[in-house]
Amino acid sequence: MRYRVAHTTVYEYSEPVTLSYNEARLLPRACPNQQCPSAALEIFPQPSDYREREDFFGNRVAYFSIRETHSIFSVTARSEILIQPAEAPWASQETGWETVRDTLWHLRDPQALDARQFALPSQLVAADAALAAYAAPSFQPGRALLHAVHDLMQRIHTEFIFDADFTEIATPLATVLAHRRGVCQDFAHLAIGCLRSQGLAARYVSGYIENLPPPGQQKMVGADVSHAWFSVFVPDFGWMDFDPTNNQVPRDQHITTAWGRDYADVTPLKGVIFGGRHHALKVSVEVERLDELNS
Amino acid sequence: MDEFFSADGYAAGADGYDEMLDGDRLIRPHWQPLMAELGRLGPEDLVRHRQEMMKLLRENGVSYNIYGTPEGQHRPWQLDPVPLPIASDEWAAIEAAMVQRAELLNRILADLYGPRELIRQGLLPLELIYSHNGFLRPCDQIRLPGSHQLVVYAADLARGTDGRIRVIGDRTQVPSGMGYALENRATLSRVLPDLFRSNGVYALESFFQHMRDGLSALAPAGSESPHIVVMTPGPFNETFFEHAYLAAYLGYPLVQGDDLVVRDGHVWLKSLGGLQKVDVILRRVDEDYCDPLELRENSRLGVPGLLEVMRRGNVAIANPLGSGVLENPGLMAFLPGIAEYFGQALALPSIATWWCGQHRECDHVLANLSSMVIKPIHRTAGTRPVFGSRLSRVAQESWRERIKAQPALYVGQEEQHFSTVPSLTNQKLEPRHAVLRSFMVATKDGYAVMPGGLTRCAPGSKDLLVTSQAGGSAKDTWVLAPAHAALPLAAYGPEPASAMTDTPLPSRAADNLFWAGRYAERTEGTIRLMRIIIKGLFDQPGRSNLAYAPGMACLLQALTAMTGTYPSFLADNPPAPEPELRALAFDETRPGSLAHSLRSQLQASYAVRDLWSSDTWRIMDELEEQWIVAKRVNSPDLWQAMDLMDQLLISLSAFGGMAMETMTRGKGWLFLNIGRRLERAVLLLSVLRSAFSLQRPAEIESYLINALLDSSDNLIRNPFQHQPPGLEAFIEMLMFDDNNPRSLIYQFERLHEYIAELPAGCGDEHFHLTKQTMEALRRAHANGLLAATPTDTRLQLDTLLGNLSGMTYRISDALTAAYFRHEQSHPLSQAQAV
Repeated sequence: MRYRVAHTTVYEYSEPVTLSYNEARLLPRACPNQQCPSAALEIFPQPSDYREREDFFGNRVAYFSIRETHSIFSVTARSEILIQPAEAPWASQETGWETVRDTLWHLRDPQALDARQFALPSQLVAADAALAAYAAPSFQPGRALLHAVHDLMQRIHTEFIFDADFTEIATPLATVLAHRRGVCQDFAHLAIGCLRSQGLAARYVSGYIENLPPPGQQKMVGADVSHAWFSVFVPDFGWMDFDPTNNQVPRDQHITTAWGRDYADVTPLKGVIFGGRHHALKVSVEVERLDELNS
Repeated sequence: MDEFFSADGYAAGADGYDEMLDGDRLIRPHWQPLMAELGRLGPEDLVRHRQEMMKLLRENGVSYNIYGTPEGQHRPWQLDPVPLPIASDEWAAIEAAMVQRAELLNRILADLYGPRELIRQGLLPLELIYSHNGFLRPCDQIRLPGSHQLVVYAADLARGTDGRIRVIGDRTQVPSGMGYALENRATLSRVLPDLFRSNGVYALESFFQHMRDGLSALAPAGSESPHIVVMTPGPFNETFFEHAYLAAYLGYPLVQGDDLVVRDGHVWLKSLGGLQKVDVILRRVDEDYCDPLELRENSRLGVPGLLEVMRRGNVAIANPLGSGVLENPGLMAFLPGIAEYFGQALALPSIATWWCGQHRECDHVLANLSSMVIKPIHRTAGTRPVFGSRLSRVAQESWRERIKAQPALYVGQEEQHFSTVPSLTNQKLEPRHAVLRSFMVATKDGYAVMPGGLTRCAPGSKDLLVTSQAGGSAKDTWVLAPAHAALPLAAYGPEPASAMTDTPLPSRAADNLFWAGRYAERTEGTIRLMRIIIKGLFDQPGRSNLAYAPGMACLLQALTAMTGTYPSFLADNPPAPEPELRALAFDETRPGSLAHSLRSQLQASYAVRDLWSSDTWRIMDELEEQWIVAKRVNSPDLWQAMDLMDQLLISLSAFGGMAMETMTRGKGWLFLNIGRRLERAVLLLSVLRSAFSLQRPAEIESYLINALLDSSDNLIRNPFQHQPPGLEAFIEMLMFDDNNPRSLIYQFERLHEYIAELPAGCGDEHFHLTKQTMEALRRAHANGLLAATPTDTRLQLDTLLGNLSGMTYRISDALTAAYFRHEQSHPLSQAQAV
């Protein structure tokens, strides 16, 4: 599948900003089933300093600084993405989740070693007893890892209400769990917390989802905004994504921008400014399908 | 020898190791010359010398700020007159071991932010490193030029009961203490120079020269004479004294985060001469606070974009951001294995440590909790090591649960009783557990070890924990030279160079000097007026004067106007004078009060501690001391307050004089004096306007003139000794006499002169404003200024004073805009993924 994505973020300030420093994780990274032939940022006003690099997790980061005094700041990321349908390892993966948990600590191959960091608590997602308790029904003894995770995803989808007004960026996971409400970011964090509470490695994926309602069905939630889901580490296979907001295993409609331990590692746009006083933030995303690949 | 200094009088525990006495209770050879010298002094002298040392330390402002005390009080540094000598052969072994450990930690640091081979090879568990909050992922793959990533390193050493020295802690983030070690030496050698005569003691200066060389070598390629700054979180940090002391000693500007700005991929110092490129930062700000963009976003102590500049290699930060990852006691368990991997054997062991992230080790810790010291792998505010032996059964159980919940975050260390050293307590030498902090700095030729260090003793004989936060005293640490060695002896420690030389003046420092000047003047002005009021209130015969009541009311109103403490005596129903005056003197929470102004002056001065000469600082300390004493007097009456004010006035004059005398006439001097002149004008304008804008009966005006003359030191040169001047002559003297250093015109002329000397390129509004003000004042020097309307308003005078007063505020604002702009950055809100 081939997509064109435009992701625009606009800040409007009540007073002029004299200086700003920013970090964007808006340029989609390469993944096993995703290529990004072109991606660029359009920044207004023109930055006086701009540089791209890769971060600790291999995500693409753009650092820039604006010295021109301004009252409106906008960044548009335009990218083209190619996605091959992801293969799910259902058949080959009947390993019980406890076995996966217990062997994770002994694996020393580079991929598994790298995965181990995603089992540790992170800034926004620390496993605790409440998360373990919520996870427990899905993690019955002896159950195959992928079935357990799939069940967890389904339960989150059905037991939690999507409510864009309930949470904000700093809402703690405990509040989400207690009120059974949130948005995709919360659901991804929740699932990651549940998995970590079981000793499993899970990471946060930031990206977009195609806004293409199947005939006769409703538009999927998370379209036209930035989206997030989670991924679980499966030894001898790699990472497998799950989207609890839409209750689906991503195949070729999820476009990955970046991944990390949680949202704080992959915040699409961060900034520190001088001046500005109050500001308003607007985000819009357009995902356009260009043509179908291999079909 | 006096019994006091003999082995018999010293109660070292039989079960432990004592540094002075050996197993047969004989004084160890390397202690003998020292003890003989102390014996010659005698106990009384020694106690007296200690007092002298404490006084010297206090006067030099050597303090350690303790969190959680009111106003973040500075606790004076406690120094024991008995040093800790280290024999030359033992030191040789320690020095070699320290260099080895520094090199080893350096290799680990380079690896952890580089290939992470040690994790891949299984020599370090991933979880031990990745769970540690000092592992800063944004710092991955960043390297300092040269082979040393760990630039400054400190290790805490202690000797166990078995006589072996062990490393009990590593400091790699912002190692503190070397400035205190230097000051300890300076103080001891000044007070007890004789002690050094019979002992060959290595001097410390060379270490700091290594430090200068090491820091210079870090500068990015192409910087001929690199610009180096010391970055501090500011005067509220517990070791701020040391930051200022080191900056002054090393000759580098002391800066806070907002003195620096990132532009075009470089770091710049906002100095009064404009932006100046910074090549090397000696960092005393905790690493996660250094860059709100990539690290802790709510930090107000950092510089946005700093990490990116470090990444590009355009600034070197020592220690580099991320070096805190080594400050992890869990690492100690793996050092022998890593040393072996590099083909070495660890020369000096660490204290026995078990990291609970491993099953077997965790079980061992849980099973032996009562003989363990539990520590978290990273230091977080408010956490202290926990001694298992001192926990109740219930508490032990709850610690077991805590460890089991997050085992990777804890270590258990063997509880060790460290060796004791003789410590002077009330006229007696008593054994105290001690820890030695040893300092290292990387140079082109490898690590240089300070030949000495910071020895700290536990406060009580039963105390096991030795930290500066916990109290206790410090000792000078002597590395003894081998017999007959020729060595450069330092009989006297160094005196930090008074700055104000050609090092650039950060704009924040200029700001603080300006306000130190303003507040000093405000404090003085407030005292002068208050004194005269209090004198009047207590002057019984004077009260029979008919002019007394209206005159006093007018003076009280002038005080309100001058201090800006409205409504106070300008209220419709003015308060009773005595309690209100007491509040205006002592209530620190009330802006405008004497207490508030003095506190603000001390704060502004302390923030530029590195810029004062030690004599000036001594006066500042006296001021603070007087104030602390005053506050202890429970609700002092006004008469007592008078005494205090007299003392303060003397100290303030001394401060003014000393600052003038000892500061070179650089930019700092200018800002201090601009502040003083401006404030003196502001105060005079408000008093004159309050007292004379309305025409009053002649006898009242004459009462006021007398009082105001009395309040200023114009009395000394009062040409009207016996007869008070008329208002016209008085106004002439206080406003237009350019030979009177207290006149308005004198203030504006000096202001104009000083402002003309300020660096150009920051706009010239302040210059023009001052010029205009001076000219307006000169123009007003005409007959008829004192003419009153039928309603007794002196319209011309009032308008003039009002305008001039407005101008002073504009001048202050213009100076602020031109030189002291410190905008606070703040983070942008982030979009939620929905």
